[in-house]
Amino acid sequence: MTSTLDKLHAILRRDLLTAIRHRSGFIVTLVGVFTELAAFYFLSRAIGPGFRPGGLEYFPFILVGTGVYTFFVMSAQAFLSAVQEAQQTGTLEVLMTTSTAPAELLVLSSISAFAGNLVNLLVYLFTGVAVFRASIHANLLSCVAVLIFSLAIALALGIAAAALQVAFQKGSALLWLLGSGLWFLSGTMFPIQSLPRPLELLARAVPLTYAIDGMRRALLQGQSVVAMARTLAVLAGFGVVLLLLALTGLSLSLRRARQNGTLSFY
Amino acid sequence: MNQVVFESVRKTFRHRPALFNWLGKERGGETIALKDVSFSAAPAEVLVLLGPNGSGKTTALKLISTILLPDAGSVRVGGFDARRDAGAVRRQVGIAVAAERSFFPRLSARENLDFFAALDEVPRRQRAQRIDEVLHDTGLEEQADTLVMKFSSGTYQRLGIARALVKRPCVLLLDEPTRSLDAATTAHFWAAIRGLARQETTVLLATHNFAEAAAVAHRLLLLHHGELLADRSLGDGESAEALRSFYFRKTGEIDEAINATHRARTSP
Repeated sequence: MTSTLDKLHAILRRDLLTAIRHRSGFIVTLVGVFTELAAFYFLSRAIGPGFRPGGLEYFPFILVGTGVYTFFVMSAQAFLSAVQEAQQTGTLEVLMTTSTAPAELLVLSSISAFAGNLVNLLVYLFTGVAVFRASIHANLLSCVAVLIFSLAIALALGIAAAALQVAFQKGSALLWLLGSGLWFLSGTMFPIQSLPRPLELLARAVPLTYAIDGMRRALLQGQSVVAMARTLAVLAGFGVVLLLLALTGLSLSLRRARQNGTLSFY
Repeated sequence: MNQVVFESVRKTFRHRPALFNWLGKERGGETIALKDVSFSAAPAEVLVLLGPNGSGKTTALKLISTILLPDAGSVRVGGFDARRDAGAVRRQVGIAVAAERSFFPRLSARENLDFFAALDEVPRRQRAQRIDEVLHDTGLEEQADTLVMKFSSGTYQRLGIARALVKRPCVLLLDEPTRSLDAATTAHFWAAIRGLARQETTVLLATHNFAEAAAVAHRLLLLHHGELLADRSLGDGESAEALRSFYFRKTGEIDEAINATHRARTSP
C-alpha cells in the first residue's frame, strides 16, 4: 500500500511538473473556460427564462452538463494522449520493464490524468457561479458521492481507450464515440426527455446520463444522498462493471502486445 | 546457479498488412527473430551479444526484460520464469535501450530518475543518494537539474544507463550503450561495466562494436539471422581485430574493410 501511494505521488508529481512547465497551458485553459461559459450564458439569455428544463434555469443546467461532459472527454483524452506519446517516444516499453505491474502503472497514471481534469472541472463550475452568477443550491455530500462514482466510470473509459490503443492503435475511436454520440445522448445540452422514445431509452443506458443528472440534482437542487439513492446505485453499478471490463481488456491487450511485439506501435 | 537462462527460445514476428492493402505495397509474412536459441549467463559475467542488424540481439534483451513473451521455450531470470513470474523478473532486471528518447522532456535528469526509481520500488530514503551515485557514475552531475528536452543524444544515452543502474539490478541489459558516446565517456563506461561485474551483476550487452566486445566481455554470443552461431569465452587480451576476423569467418559476411584495403593495394 505504501509502495502504491509512493508511486501515485511520483506520477502526480511528474504530471504536475509537466503541466506547470507548459507555461501558457494554464492561461489558455482559463481563457477557453471563460469564452465557453460566456457563449452559454448569452445563449441561455437568448432562449429566455421561459425554458426551464427539469424546473432549472437553463444556464446552470448547461453549466453542469457541459462541465461534467468535458471532464469525462478531456480526462480520457489526456490519458490516451499520454499513452500515445509514451508509445511514440519509447517510454511505454521502458515503463513496462519497471518493477510496477503494467496494469497498476496504467491505473495510477489514469488517476493522475483525471485528477488534473477534476481541477479544471472545479475551475469551470466556480467560474460559472462566481462570474456568470449561476444559481446553485448544493448538497456537498451528494456532490462528492456523484463525483466519486462518476470518476470510477470515467477511469474505466480512459483505461478502455488505452487498452484499444495498445491492442489495435485505435484508442481514439472510443473517444470519438464519447465525443459525438454520448454528447447527443447524455442530456448535456437538453433534457433526454426531449428525445424520441427509442433514443430516450438508449440515453438511459449511457452512464454519463446518470453522472450529469446526478450532479445537477446534487449541485443545483441540493438533493440529499438518500433522495438520490437510486441514481447513486446505478452509477456505482456502472462504475464497478465498467472498471472490471476495462481492466480485463487492458490486461489482455498488454499480454497480446507483448506476445506480438506491438507495445510501441502507434 | 545461472542468473539468466534461455532454453530453446523461439520468437517470430508476424506482419499483418493494412486493411486496404491494395492501395499500397505492404505484404504480410513473418520474421523469425530467434530460432531455438539456448544460452545462460552466470552472476558476475559480462556476456556480449554480437551480430548484424536483425540478428535477434535486441529481441533477446526484450525477452529477458519481459517486454516480449517467447513463442516457445523458456526465459528464466534468477530462477523466475519470464512468462509466469514477470513481476519477479522485472524486479531483478535493468535495461538501457538504444532508442533513448524515452524520458519525460519537461522533467530534469534528477526528476526523471526519481520518477523511475519510485516505479522500481527503490525505498524513498535511499533514492536521493542512489540518484547522486548514478549521476556521478555516468558523468551527469552538471546536467542533473537540466530539463532533459535540452539534452544531446549522447547525454540521453548516459541518462538511460543511469536509469538502468538506479535500481541496482542483478541483471543489467544494455542495447548498444555507447552508440552516441564520445571516446572518453565510452572508456569510462567500459570500466564501470567491469566494476559492476566485480559486484556480482550479470551484464548482457548487445553491440556491433568489436572494440567494446573485446574491452568488456567474458563471453561472446554470436547471433546471425536469429540463430546462435557461436557461444565462447574470450581469451585474456583477445583483441578487437581477432574478434572481427572471428565474426566475419563465422557469419560468412563480406568484410568490406578488408576488401577496400585489398582494392587500394591492387589498384594501379
